[in-house]
Amino acid sequence: MNLSTKSRYGLRALTNLLDQDCCCSVKQISKKEHISSDYLEKIFAKLKKAGLLKVERGACGGYSLSRDPKKITLGEVINALEKPEFICPDFCDCQSKSVWQKIQSGFSHVLNSITLDQLKTSNNKSVYLDYAASTPVDPEVLNTMLPYFDFSFCGNTMSLHQMGSVASQVVESCRVSFANILKVKPQEIIFTGSATESNNTVLKGIAFANKSKGKHIIISSIEHDCVLSSAKWLTTQGFEISQISVDKFGLLNLDELKKTIRPDTILVSIIHGNNEIGTIQDIQRIGQICHDRGVYFHTDASQSFTKTPIDLSKLNVDLLTASSHKIYGPKGAALLYIKAGTKITPLLHGGGHEFGFRSSTVNLPAIIGFTKAAEISVKNFDQENKKLSELRDYLIKNILKTISESRLNGHPQKRLYNNINISFDRVEGESLLLELDFYGIAVSTGSACSSSSLEPSHVLLATGLRPEQAHGSLRFSLGRFTTKSEVDYLLKVLPQVINKFRQISPFKS
Amino acid sequence: MYTQKVLEHFRTPHNFGSMKNPTAVGQVGNLACGDVMKLYLKIAKNKTGQDFIEDVKFETLGCAAAIATSSVITDLAKGKTLTEALKIKNEDIIKALDDLPAVKIHCSLLAADALAEAIYGYYQKTHQSISSELEKVHQRITVCQTRLNH
Repeated sequence: MNLSTKSRYGLRALTNLLDQDCCCSVKQISKKEHISSDYLEKIFAKLKKAGLLKVERGACGGYSLSRDPKKITLGEVINALEKPEFICPDFCDCQSKSVWQKIQSGFSHVLNSITLDQLKTSNNKSVYLDYAASTPVDPEVLNTMLPYFDFSFCGNTMSLHQMGSVASQVVESCRVSFANILKVKPQEIIFTGSATESNNTVLKGIAFANKSKGKHIIISSIEHDCVLSSAKWLTTQGFEISQISVDKFGLLNLDELKKTIRPDTILVSIIHGNNEIGTIQDIQRIGQICHDRGVYFHTDASQSFTKTPIDLSKLNVDLLTASSHKIYGPKGAALLYIKAGTKITPLLHGGGHEFGFRSSTVNLPAIIGFTKAAEISVKNFDQENKKLSELRDYLIKNILKTISESRLNGHPQKRLYNNINISFDRVEGESLLLELDFYGIAVSTGSACSSSSLEPSHVLLATGLRPEQAHGSLRFSLGRFTTKSEVDYLLKVLPQVINKFRQISPFKS
Repeated sequence: MYTQKVLEHFRTPHNFGSMKNPTAVGQVGNLACGDVMKLYLKIAKNKTGQDFIEDVKFETLGCAAAIATSSVITDLAKGKTLTEALKIKNEDIIKALDDLPAVKIHCSLLAADALAEAIYGYYQKTHQSISSELEKVHQRITVCQTRLNH
């Protein structure tokens, strides 16, 4: 189905009206939009009849919107001009009637959910460089998910009837898919609600299930807040936590790890690809060290999953966390790999879902989306790895070249293909972030989770940065939809922004 | 998170930059905390012979709230006599910005402190008597600065 000329012209003329301070005559708009004024007059008459436009007389006379553009939906505009219909006539009782009804309701839903105001602002330049915080859902993922909200998949995976069993089969096929990606057995994958939940399950679950062996847990100094906070909480429950330091690139001190493991150590949890500085740890060697000493090894792969190859059949990893919304899947889905035979207590007790490791009704559409997202990411790995690491290196090279007193944080080579973290002397990160936001560029200081805290990033401090250097750091994270022209736009704006705040600063170079 | 007023002052701050031959300077804050404010005052005598702030400039390294509070205090202080200027409290700054997030209240304190420090320095330089209240403020700031610098 095509949108008629009437509707297209109507929308164009209305968004044009939005830009005007006062009323506009049909002539002015017809000239601007190159639409014949007679034709436009007819369109406006219909829009006026529908109560979307009003006419004012006098010197500054003409048409104006009769309501706030935030409250006019595209559906209203198009319905005033034409009646796009997919519905079978009332008397029809054909097999496909429900299909047409669905299309019609989906169509109306989209049009009614977008306002004139949004239509206009969506044309403003916006550059999203915060993919490490969260990613948009890939359209292909969304299309895969939508049917699973349908009646035929409404069953609870634990129900015995056919609909329950259909839902259950779908979840099991997702499990197989992840098992193939990670090269493990399907029963070793459990679905959770978030990476935070997976990480909490590991720290608390291993701690409580293995306390007869010991009460010592090892993490690194650059873990995500959910691991840090879980570890901190465990100290209130009688557990002892050791933090292993990292070098200036963020790589774990392996000798220190070896020395810190004791007979009563029950778990080592080390982040794989760091969320702030992008450094990728050598989990092969860390796993070996833990395996040789008989200690469970968990890695938080929220940022690295599908962005760097992970073959668990070759690694001594006992537990691994991965997340959906970092790889263009929906929020609210994640997984935890638990190697068969690992002693772990669940966080959530109840109906015994997920082999008893995680009771909760299974979030079928989200898991389907997560699976599809992972499959797409794995399939596109070579292509995205090449494209994004080239863009990353181009951005790093040019920022360091054009902005004085700037330095790269994290490892120059062993880093996530989409992560850039740079410190700028004599400026403060939050002001940079907000000023860039005015230019439509979304970036992050440290991690998004800590944007309400005033403390400088613990990760940057752990790599040896002074607090003032940590305060002046920005993270740019690229993604599937990042283009070279967006990166060039950032490169154009960033030096101006840094310069502005260096001028305001009392410290001169 | 920030009010429109804060964002306005942040985007186009008033009276920023250094000043040639200022009469007084007040610097507070600490690099480690991420906020440093420096206020420059040009002090002159008004018609009745009282000291007043003829001109004021600021330089700040810090977050959006730090820049906005610096900008606002220059507006509030400009043209006031020193006695009047000392009455500017951090609540006045917050009010002029239509509010500040709770975690950023300290920025308004910092701005009021920078002004007090500049005036304290001026009184000391010109051998004028310093009220016990201002002395207390100065002591508090000094203690805080030394603690932060170590």
